[in-house]
Amino acid sequence: MATMDGRITLVQESRFQLTDEAGVSHLFTLSPWCAAEPAQLRPLAHSQAPVRVTYKAGVDVIGQVAQRIDVQAEAGR
Amino acid sequence: MNDHPRISDFSGSDLDRMIPDESRFTAGVLIEPGKSYGFFTDTTVCIGCKACEVACKEWNNLPADHIGLTGQSFDNTGELSANTWRHVAFVEKSGCGGVRDNSEAPYQSGWLMLSDVCKHCHNAPCLEACPTGAIFRTEFDTVVVQQDICNGCGYCVPACPFGVVAVSENDGKAHKCTLCYDRLKGGLEPACSKACPTDSIQFGELSDLQARAAVRVEQLHGQGVGSAYLYGTPGAPGATGGLEHLNAFFLLTDRPEVYNFPVAPTRASNRVAPSLLSGLLTVAALATAASFILSSRDR
Repeated sequence: MATMDGRITLVQESRFQLTDEAGVSHLFTLSPWCAAEPAQLRPLAHSQAPVRVTYKAGVDVIGQVAQRIDVQAEAGR
Repeated sequence: MNDHPRISDFSGSDLDRMIPDESRFTAGVLIEPGKSYGFFTDTTVCIGCKACEVACKEWNNLPADHIGLTGQSFDNTGELSANTWRHVAFVEKSGCGGVRDNSEAPYQSGWLMLSDVCKHCHNAPCLEACPTGAIFRTEFDTVVVQQDICNGCGYCVPACPFGVVAVSENDGKAHKCTLCYDRLKGGLEPACSKACPTDSIQFGELSDLQARAAVRVEQLHGQGVGSAYLYGTPGAPGATGGLEHLNAFFLLTDRPEVYNFPVAPTRASNRVAPSLLSGLLTVAALATAASFILSSRDR
């Protein structure tokens, strides 16, 4: 599965926006089988922790479906 | 300094926090728990700009969906869905002697535009059908789906007489307009009504909106638009079948079905008792017939 690195910058319910290292924002929805809960998204956005999102393309939407979110080590920040 | 002279027109905000009860200034209403809030959508002033659709998607972080051409005039979203909570309908009328007749009466006679949304029904059928309690009535008298409780059973989908609620293929949960529940809690009016440039979508306390809408209908009648009427106010079309009234109601100038609204929506729960009774009667009739046939065979 594809992965994307970045920081969560917006959260609404189980949807979130991931801003990648190039400053481009991408829209994600948590999969029902995702190894993360909607309640965990907001703390990640507040802390601006770097994350790696493993995802699949969404069905009939311009957005991705997150299958897994891993918190990455902070690098030179 | 080589700044463009217009740059001073757009100086940055010097506010260090949100404006308390901002809705007082943008919608003229103070948002307080325990009161009923809703939308009054005056379709006669809708220009089909879709600012409401965009504002809704932006605030709620909703992805664009139904990629491709619908083939239906300027309508690119097509319908309300799990990812589209505001839908601007474009209805091209064939009256006045033809679709593109040169002599059309005023007030959008050739085109009807309407920003459709969840009606936040007083007796919400989706809420009544929800087995998990995920759909609840908020302190602002609006109807919201709690995403962490929804199990995606989809009972609310056929229960809604307006075809508003939809289950997402991507997260398997039911979604619909929340009437910007999070914004209301922060004293902000909903994103769509704030973005509407013509005030076609008006947010406010329900009793105020209903009074305002009645005045608007009278005004339109006085201006020669005799077809104007309200859809979803108490006793009006759209508030039938036990729904009582709709918190998001509309001013229309043509029959409801022209706007893709049901003429007489009803609560699904109204049909439970008759359905159960007819099912029991069918079983009883079949059992009687079977016993009659079997007993006649024995003879």
